This record gives sequence, structure tokens and C-alpha cells, in this order.
Amino acid sequence: MSMSTTPEDLRPSSDGHSRRWMTRNLRRKVLINVTLALLGALFLLPLLWLVFAALNPHATATLSAPRLSMANFRTALQAGAGGAILNSLYLAAIATLVATVFSTLAGYVLSRRHIPFKGPILIVVLFLSGLPVALLLIPIFEIYVKLGWINSPFYTALVLGATSVPFAIWLLKNFIDQVPRDFEEAAAIEGSNSLQVLLRVVVPLIMPGILVSAILTFINAWGAFLIPLVLDANPSDTPGSIGIYNFLSANYQVHYGPLAAYGILFSIPVIVLYLISSRWLTGGFSFAGGIRG
Amino acid sequence: MARILLEGLTKSFKDKAAVHDLTLEVADGEFMIIVGPSGCGKSTTLRMLAGFEAPTSGRIWIGDRIVNDVAPKDRDVAMVFQNYALFPHMTVEKNLSFGMKVRGEPKLAIKKQVAEVAELLGIDPLLDHKPAELSGGERQRVALGRAMLRRPKAFLLDEPLSNLDAALRTQMRFELKRIHAQFPVTTVYVTHDQIEAMTMGDRIALLNRGRLQQLATPEVLYSEPANLFAAGFVGSPKMNLVTAEVKSGPASPIIRFLSCDIPVNGTVGSVVESLNHNQVVVGFRPEEVLPCRPDEKGTGITSGTVELIEPLGSETHVSVRVGDELLTCKFPARAGLEVGSAVNLAIDITRMKVFDQETGERLG
Amino acid sequence: MTVLTGTVVDGTAPPVIETKRDTRFNPSTLIWLAPAAVLVLGLFVAPMGYAIYLGFTNLELLGVHAQNYSFTGLSNLSRMVHDPVFWSSVKLTLIFVIGSGIIAQTLLGLILALLGQRANIVVRASVGSMIVLAWVLPEICVAFIWYSFSQSGGLLSHLIGNPSDDLLSTVPLLIVCIANTWRGTAFSMLVLSAGLRNVPQEVDEAAQLEGASYWKRLLKVTLPIMRPTLMINMLLITLSTMADFTLIYAMTQGGPGNETAILPVYMYIEAFQFNALGYGTTIALALVVIAALLSIIYIRQLRPELRRAV
Repeated sequence: MSMSTTPEDLRPSSDGHSRRWMTRNLRRKVLINVTLALLGALFLLPLLWLVFAALNPHATATLSAPRLSMANFRTALQAGAGGAILNSLYLAAIATLVATVFSTLAGYVLSRRHIPFKGPILIVVLFLSGLPVALLLIPIFEIYVKLGWINSPFYTALVLGATSVPFAIWLLKNFIDQVPRDFEEAAAIEGSNSLQVLLRVVVPLIMPGILVSAILTFINAWGAFLIPLVLDANPSDTPGSIGIYNFLSANYQVHYGPLAAYGILFSIPVIVLYLISSRWLTGGFSFAGGIRG
Repeated sequence: MARILLEGLTKSFKDKAAVHDLTLEVADGEFMIIVGPSGCGKSTTLRMLAGFEAPTSGRIWIGDRIVNDVAPKDRDVAMVFQNYALFPHMTVEKNLSFGMKVRGEPKLAIKKQVAEVAELLGIDPLLDHKPAELSGGERQRVALGRAMLRRPKAFLLDEPLSNLDAALRTQMRFELKRIHAQFPVTTVYVTHDQIEAMTMGDRIALLNRGRLQQLATPEVLYSEPANLFAAGFVGSPKMNLVTAEVKSGPASPIIRFLSCDIPVNGTVGSVVESLNHNQVVVGFRPEEVLPCRPDEKGTGITSGTVELIEPLGSETHVSVRVGDELLTCKFPARAGLEVGSAVNLAIDITRMKVFDQETGERLG
Repeated sequence: MTVLTGTVVDGTAPPVIETKRDTRFNPSTLIWLAPAAVLVLGLFVAPMGYAIYLGFTNLELLGVHAQNYSFTGLSNLSRMVHDPVFWSSVKLTLIFVIGSGIIAQTLLGLILALLGQRANIVVRASVGSMIVLAWVLPEICVAFIWYSFSQSGGLLSHLIGNPSDDLLSTVPLLIVCIANTWRGTAFSMLVLSAGLRNVPQEVDEAAQLEGASYWKRLLKVTLPIMRPTLMINMLLITLSTMADFTLIYAMTQGGPGNETAILPVYMYIEAFQFNALGYGTTIALALVVIAALLSIIYIRQLRPELRRAV
């Protein structure tokens, strides 16, 4: 065995790599992490400003250290933030309920049952989910005016739900496809009818899918702007999104502080939902235990 | 082409050692097989050779340079993965020529060599197809071709035949040996199949739980296993291993098993005598047990009852119960036996092996 | 995301766990489909058809033609073709979609995914959540934040050294694009990260052994394998960005003038501020046509993979 003439720092130390390699590797790792962190900071900056501005009674349009007070929040609430947020809640809740229930039913049969023209139907559903909602706005406006459904939060919420249904059906159908049929067949053998099977067996199994669909619909409806803007002109029905806009354009000078507070109040429910869902989803959903025996 | 040397190679994960102090040299052009059961560390060793795992300690030489810190792409080795790892978005032709294009070789040379290798491996009609359209055997040949076109210092093969059906496997074993004879590149071949190891290797490195059990040619591994593990791993059906008692005898120690008393002479005798416990394991292969006439006398004669007969045409595997033990015997023909009948056996004691029961090491 | 990114990679189709038991049509199925069907037909399909009609009428929000409107043939179409604001709007929409959507978000998302793959897990998780937080924030808040930043005296003007600059007036399209990119990058990052994870490690290792450097592997092996994921990602970005109303309307109302009036915003302005509901619908129809054309381009790119996956 010949000893090659490798310089001292290239020869492996007792732990498998030479010193030169270790430093080079370390440098690369540091570079990657620092770059990523810098990019992250760029994204953080605007969020940070929002939080600081909300807490700062003298907030400006640039980043400044907050002087910690809740005054802005009080101003925001006085300007109607509370009511607007409740309106958003109503709209989003109805939309989510309607969309999720309807889509689960439809998704289930599209996954499990035989339906004539199922293929084309699914493709149509997929395309509808990509359709710009702007197209539907004016016709629905006209129809609603004729039906007298205009300026009603309930019917507005229906529209919000309807716009989420195609994607929700697609999501749920694919999700249910992945669930083995064994559970339902076992239940059917034990004499449950379809509805019981659905409620007692299937729904618990596909709960993660239902929750994802519901959360996405809720977030979508929560941030809705154009549809409520057009379909419901009642000032008392104004949701938070439009409320913030009105507040922004109402005064001659922009009140950064209260607006930031309003924004944060409006964002909290959605952020909380996101946090819950992300932890829930990464908790995993497995069918592993239930099939055998 | 180059020789490969692993020096004191160790790889630990957390506190468990996957590979422990492995030292192995593969000569230039040799076809070395690393074989062992699942989890013995063979794949880890191969990956360290390729550079995808860093050893915890020890050195790896390829040719005359230490490659511990050399990136896989600079080690000048080629690997055939268990799942072939073909580029799914490229045609066979592009898969084969990828490496040469990356290394900047001239177009004409690439075309010519790709055509040559494709013809050699019988995949030239497939050049325009994508991997998804190929069968397992075809994909494997493309992976092989890609490795060959690398013109590497060494070939690394990670259980390349395990995803093929039995007939294809036999065929590919033959082809791989043929190709190696034609292009004798240093090859390290990892498998768990002892038949592949025995039929293909110039030398075999037997691994168990991260440690090298024996390094030898197939013949030596078969006839002179270094320990109990090697004895039991190689050979099908497996070697018969029977616990035996050591007793003192008039001239030399006697090993008693299956109602045979066998005197042990010479160096083996003294080793056996110096053991501080009186139990050993005796091993003899199925073909070293033959039926004999009931009246034959001699050492190594015993008798038992037939429990199972497996006729394989040219030979018959017979399981005979002798006392507490079940022996597997390979008889030349049916020998007129039936299940339940008594049979007399003559064990070829000259080829018998003795192992230390505690350490597993072979004593003689 | 597994729905969208679980596309074929190793060249074989995913196994379909299909145990077709009942191939007869069960009428009770209709009952289950009915609610969703009614909703979709009533609030999607019917309005779509109605829109196709309305786009060719002289319907107005108020006034004579609010009640008595009539079919006007191709006059709306003609008006649109000769409308310079319309064409400017189309151009702005394409710039907005391609610039801040397809190019910026995909590129940034890819960079973040690639960095995240090799970064420390704590860094990756925390940076990831900040970026996703920007995405989860309601659109109106995003609009407000970037509106404030680009005012004179705002953070952006401070950063470029000219605190009195009202960037929203001077470079409105740029600001709006930046805001949109900030908001939307998370989606690309998540989708492309998943796509990256789907590239088999062995294939990358095989490429390494062939002598390919990191960039060569990225360009010739990793990204081509990720092509279906990239295409789907860009398709989804295109569709959602093209239809976006809130961000731009809240920040600039389409202005100054019509400098940021992408099609949805222009539609709203024509329909609800200038009274022309019919004409607004025509604009919306044009938007859908453009979206459809772009989708077809993407789907053609995806066709071989789609055939295998579906």
C-alpha cells in the first residue's frame, strides 16, 4: 500500500473528513442559511411594521419603534371595526357551512358512486374552479336585483360559498379517493344505510380533508371584497375588508395607527385558523391501524 | 481502472455502528462481492465508497488517492442503483449520453460509443424510448450501459438484480460476468443473495452486523468457513450445525454428538482440549452425509428416521431426525426411502468442521 | 397539495386503488349531488350563460337602460376593440400576471425552495412561516401595508433615499407588482418544495456520479423532472393573479388615471362607476377568453404528463 503525499490539512482526521473540507462545508452551510434568513427578513418587515404601527399612537408610514399603547385599537373599534368583523364572520360562516356540506356530499358520490358522464363532469368542475369570478358578478347582480336578494348578507354569503364549491369538490373527491373503501363496505355489511355510513364512518375518516376545504373556504370568504362590495351596499352589512378600505379612504389624511390596528383585528381570526390547521395537518392522518383486523 | 482500499472504515449512526472497522482491498480489475443479510452494512459501505455517506472514521482509497473528501462527482466511479435511477424525462439515448455530454466529450465520439454499448447490451432498438416504457430488465441494462459509458475507475453495483424475476436474474448474472470478462473494471457488487455471490465473485466479503466475517474466494468460503455465521450463510441447503460435547479420551479429546464419538487429533485436538467449556458446535454439509448399510461400522455412523423427502430430480433432500436434531441430507437419488422409515447415515468426518460455541470461530 | 403535485416522476403511473363494486347507477346518488349541483348551476353556470348574453346588450346600472335594455349585437364588441383604455388594460394585465406572478413568484418560490432544502431546519421553518403569514394575511391588509410603504414618507421612499417620493404615483405598476409578489410567493414556495421532494434522491445521485455539477443537475435533471409541477404552479398563479381585484383597487383604484387598471378593475370601473353594466360584462368576457387561451397553452405543455396521471 503506497502512502500518497497528501498535505496535512487534506488528510482525513480521525472523524472521516479533512479540516479543509470541514471549513469549506461550514462556509457553504452558513451562506445558505444566511441568505434564507435575509429573504425571510424581507418578508417579515412589512408584517413587523403592521404590528408596530398598530401599537404606536403616533404611527407613520415608516418603521419606527412602537410606544406600546392600545389607543389605536380603541379608535378602530370606535370606527366600527367590531361590527364589520362580525359581519365578516357571518358571511364566512354561512359560506363555509354551505360550501363544505354541499361539497362533501358531492365529493363523496363523485368518488364512490357510478355517475354517467362522471369524467366530463369532473373536468367541468375543475375548470369552474379556475374561472375568474369577475365574470359572474354582473349577471348575479342583475339576477339578485330581480329576485330582491340584493343587499342581503345571507344571499351574498351564498355566492361566496358557490364560488368555493368547485375547488372544494375537486379537493374532497380526490381526498376521498385515497381512503380505502373497506370501512364503508364493512359498515354496509353490518346493515347501515348510505347516510349512516357516510356520517358515522366516512366523515370521521375524511375529516382532515373536510377541515382543509372548510378552512380554505373560510379564508377565501373572509377576505372577500368585490362580491360583497357589489351585492350588498348596506352600510350595516359591511364586512371587515370593505370596512378597512372605507376607513382608509374616508379621511383626508391616512390614520396609520388605527388602520393598522383595524387590520390586525381583522387578520387575527384567519391567522389563528392557519396556525390551527397547519399543526393539525402535520399531525398526520393515517388509516394504517384500521384496515387489518 | 484502479484498486480500492477501505481502511478501518467505520460508520456510526447515533450510537449504533452500521459499519465497524472494515478493512478491505479490492485488486485492480477484481470482481468483489460484498454479501450479507439485511442490515449488515453492505449498502452503507457502498454508499461511502461512492461518496454519498461520510465515514465516521477510516480512509477510502480509490487508485492511489484518498477520496474521503472528494465529492461523488469527482471520484470517477459509476454506480448501478437498485432502482436503476434512470432519468425519467430523458430517452434511453439521452440517459446514456448524459455523462459524456456533461464531461464535454465530442458529439461524434458520444454517438459512436453510445451505439456500441447499446448494441453490446442489446438495447439499441430502445434508444428512443423513455424509461417508463421499458421493462425491468431493459431498464437495468440501460443503467448498466450508463455506468459503462462512464469508463470509470470502478463499478459499484447495489443489488442490481433484486428487482428482477428469477429467470431474468439468472440470465443477467451470466451477462454481467461476461461483460466483466470482456471489460475487467474493478467492481464492487453488493447483494444479499448468496447464490449471486458464489456464482459471480472473484472474492467475497461476508458482512454481518457491520463486521467483516470472512474475506475469501467462493470455494474457500464454502469449504473453509471462518465462523458459524459464514458456515450457515453460504450453501443451500444450509450446513447442519449440531452442538456436541467434549470429553476426554484415552489418546485425544473426543467429541460426542448424535451418539457418535469422534476422536480429535493433532492441533485441533489440543485447541479443543484447551477450551474452558466442553461444548462445541459441529458442522457438516448436507452432501457430506450419505446413507450406508445398517451393518457398517466406523466413526461418524449414526441412524435416524426420515421426516421429509424433497425430490429434486438429480438429487434428493432428505430431512432425518436423529435424536433431538433434524439433519438435512443430500442423497444422490431417492435411495428407496419413505417418510418414517429408518435410515443409517455415514457422516464424512474428514470434512467435518468444529466451531467454538461461544465465539463462533472455527477451530478445525 | 398532494392533489396537485402528486404527478408522475419515476415514469410509472401511480397505482389506482380501484375496486369497482357497483357499476349501476343508483338514483339516490342524485339527491346527494343535488345541493352542490343546484348551487353550481344556479350561481355559476346560469350566470355564465347570462353573462354571455349581457355582454352584448346595453344594460346600465341606472337610468333608462337599467330596466329596458336590449340586445345590441356587436356594438359592445366594437366599442371594446376601439377602446384604448381596454387595450392598455390588457397590456397591464399581462405585465402584472407575467411579471409579478409567473416570473417573480415562481423564481422567488424556487429560490426559497432550493435554499430551504439544504438549510438548517430551524431557519427553514421560521422563514417559511413568515412567508406563509404574508400569504394568509387578508388581501386588504396587504394592500394597506404596501399603500403606506409607498406613500411619500413611507418606508420604501426612505429606502430609496428620497423620502418625499410618492412612489404610488410615480411607479404605481411596479409597487403593485411588488405587493402582489410579496403576498403570493408562499404558494409557489410550498408547491415547488413539494415538487422538489418528489425528485428521487437516487436520480440526483446518479447525475452526481456522471460528473454533473450542482447547476448542471438543477438545469438538466431536477427542473425537467419538476416540469409538470412548475407548469401547474404557473397555471394556478396565472388564473388567480389575472382575476385579482382587491389588491389593486384598494391601493390605487386603477389609477393614477388608468395606469394600474387591470381587466377586473377596469370592468368594475366601467360597470359600477360609469354605469355601463353591459359593457362591463363584455370586458369580463374578454378577461375569461384571455384566461382560457393562457390555460390552453399550459395544458398543452402538460399534456403528456396529464395523460399518464389522469
